[in-house]
Amino acid sequence: MGRGQFVRMLRAERQPMSSSVVEISKTAPVWAAYRSREGCFDEMLDISRRPESGCSAIAEALFAMPPSRLAELSDRAEQMFRRMGVTFNVYGEQAGTERIFPFDPVPRIIDAATWAQLEAGLIQRVKALNAFVADVYGEGAIMKDGIVPREIVLGCPQFRRAAVGIKPPHDNFITVAGIDLVRGADGRFYVLEDNARTPSGVSYVIENRVVMTRLMPDLIRTSRIRSVERYPCDLLTSLCEIAPGGKSDPCIALLTPGPYNSAFFEHVFLSQQMGIELVEGQDLVCCDHKLYAKTVHGLKQVDVLYRRVDDDFIDPLVFRSDSMLGVAGLTSVLRAGNAVIANGIGTGVADDKAIYAYTPHMIRYYLAEEPILPIVETLLLRQADMRDTVLRNPEKYVVKPTGASGGYGVVIGPHASEQELEKVCQQILKEPEAFIAQPVVQLSLHPTIVHGRDGTARLQPRHIDFRPFVLLGARARVLPGGLTRVALREGSLIVNSSQGGGSKDTWVVEA
Amino acid sequence: MLRRIANHLFWMARNLERAEWRARLVDVNYHLLIETPPRGTSPWDPMLAIFGERALFAERYSTADEASVLKFMTIDAENPSSIRNCINLARENGRFVRHHISSELWLDINTLYLNAMDWTAAIFDSPGVFMFFADLKDCFYRIAGVLQSTIPRDLSYDFMWLGIMLERAEDVSRMLDVKYHFLLPRLADVGGPLDMQQWAAVLRSASGLEAYRKSHGNLIRLEKIIDILLFDSTFPRSAKFALDEVAGALDRIGRGASCEMKRETPALSQLRAELTTRSPKEVIKQGLHEFLLKVQDSCTEIYRQLVEQYLTVD
Repeated sequence: MGRGQFVRMLRAERQPMSSSVVEISKTAPVWAAYRSREGCFDEMLDISRRPESGCSAIAEALFAMPPSRLAELSDRAEQMFRRMGVTFNVYGEQAGTERIFPFDPVPRIIDAATWAQLEAGLIQRVKALNAFVADVYGEGAIMKDGIVPREIVLGCPQFRRAAVGIKPPHDNFITVAGIDLVRGADGRFYVLEDNARTPSGVSYVIENRVVMTRLMPDLIRTSRIRSVERYPCDLLTSLCEIAPGGKSDPCIALLTPGPYNSAFFEHVFLSQQMGIELVEGQDLVCCDHKLYAKTVHGLKQVDVLYRRVDDDFIDPLVFRSDSMLGVAGLTSVLRAGNAVIANGIGTGVADDKAIYAYTPHMIRYYLAEEPILPIVETLLLRQADMRDTVLRNPEKYVVKPTGASGGYGVVIGPHASEQELEKVCQQILKEPEAFIAQPVVQLSLHPTIVHGRDGTARLQPRHIDFRPFVLLGARARVLPGGLTRVALREGSLIVNSSQGGGSKDTWVVEA
Repeated sequence: MLRRIANHLFWMARNLERAEWRARLVDVNYHLLIETPPRGTSPWDPMLAIFGERALFAERYSTADEASVLKFMTIDAENPSSIRNCINLARENGRFVRHHISSELWLDINTLYLNAMDWTAAIFDSPGVFMFFADLKDCFYRIAGVLQSTIPRDLSYDFMWLGIMLERAEDVSRMLDVKYHFLLPRLADVGGPLDMQQWAAVLRSASGLEAYRKSHGNLIRLEKIIDILLFDSTFPRSAKFALDEVAGALDRIGRGASCEMKRETPALSQLRAELTTRSPKEVIKQGLHEFLLKVQDSCTEIYRQLVEQYLTVD
């Protein structure tokens, strides 16, 4: 069967929402049974429809695999992850419960042209966010010029007064950013939210690829996919570039909250890949405005700390005094310029959900450029007119608390019960500045293996999002790929690993 | 090398060695009892005695029969030093230091852990016992080999090696002590075939029977056994060999330290000196059991000094 014919058949298979999936008989090819949903963008169908993207052959090869083969691959993937110990911990369960991040072996493909556009947009955005943080804790020009209201910045729960006046090399506050993107019904990527504090997930990107090269070696070899292996090396380079005083061989360490943190595996993985020490707060001590690690041979000075501990816990002398995870006196070390931490203190001001509404203005203000990546329309509930609009029809909106991350506290209007809507409306009235609302974005769909109760496997459309990672050192670097998260429950829009999401490998095809 | 990391490396390795010795001892005792069914006395009691676990066992089981002791020593989650718990602890410590060990070593430890989590009492259904312990020993050999062939000889290696060798010195002395608790039915049996059979089993636990025959011939004599398992500096599972390795590792670690940090701990020098100057004959005459207790106490003291010098964070 020629490619043209294959594509035509796929097109013909697109059905309205009501008929979601048909059982596959043993002889029929997989794609014959695959039905996507009207009103959403299906990434795999789109790729197979556009031969000019250069990726339709990959889609065709994937669609040609029988579901039993794909199911076998997903079993093998799980075994590999278990053996490799690629796990995350779930909060609220027994301390230290390790889980495998569910993995779907059907990869998501991004063509070279789309990626080039994304990459430019991501670099632009992170540069502007970083400039914003440096400005907020420096001159405050953007507030003086009335582009972003001062009360929103200062009232932001992640604003850290203690960071005012800290001047890291290159004005580098956001060394690592994870930008969450979704693909709307129009096929465009939108920024859903920024993660400028301690974004996680990059270890799964790299380990997913390791597993995929074992599962589908031939397809990967022929598809010319860009490698994701360089990330730890790029991260280390970025961390070296921001060392205090341009020190050429800085001592770098990764600070972890410890083995009960949900991302502990990632902390171990990254320090192993970069060949740097993995430290806990108890391993560090500050004296004479310098940061030291307690080694078997005495104290050793640390120049750069890649920290995966939140601001609130990083320095008990300045932030939460009950924290056992940080280092007393770290803030004064930073102020003295004797060490640098990545990301800097207070970067959360840039990924605040209310500040998000102003990000296009920031890009124009700092870079004098038009934003390449659009954002989702955002209603600030502190503003009476916007609040009334949302309170009148809460079922039409997604309501998000501005201070939280990880999908906690998000209410999706169309999926919420009467009581849930009632409750969130009351919360909004009580504390309007703590919430924003956005229209429901139809996350794109992607064929995903679904295991039936009877043991059969089928391809069904599931919602996905995307978190690419951007590094900012002396220059910007983007990991060619990213974490594609998939909502494994039918119809669900929540992709967070803490709430039943899984992941896919993301293939960025070479230009 | 961070002090906390050094501590995790030490305990990861030490728990692996501990699990291995337990497996060896349980295995050999099990097979010895098949060949020479005991009369009267509780044949599994010595096992509990040498690990000092009689009380803990009595809290949880009514009789020291084979099934209960096997379960207690191998898979019991409530026994902190059951083989499964030792493996679990090795892996728990390993999680903190994955960036210091090779991914191959981690993979093997993690695989062993995943297997151990699946063990049930069904593994003791004969004839499965032999295969179970044979496979388990293979896992430990494999891990030891991967460790030797993938870890650079740096501080990471030295702290792991310390853990392995200190545990080895202690365990070999415990193992020799099993005969102290393992009473022979009659006084006349001392030196008789049953006695010799038991000593041969002790040697076999340490994979030392063949080495013994090579250097001391076919006749099994107590002082020669003591010689190979305590005094011999060439046999890799002797106390002397292990303590020499401990001294070597401490010496290498000490080289990077400032001069005020003492290089060798007094307890270690003293014990090594005794194993050099005294003879097996002399030790037997003055009381083997007492001497073995002394070796164990010295190991505890060496560990205490190690903690103070290198491993505590505060």
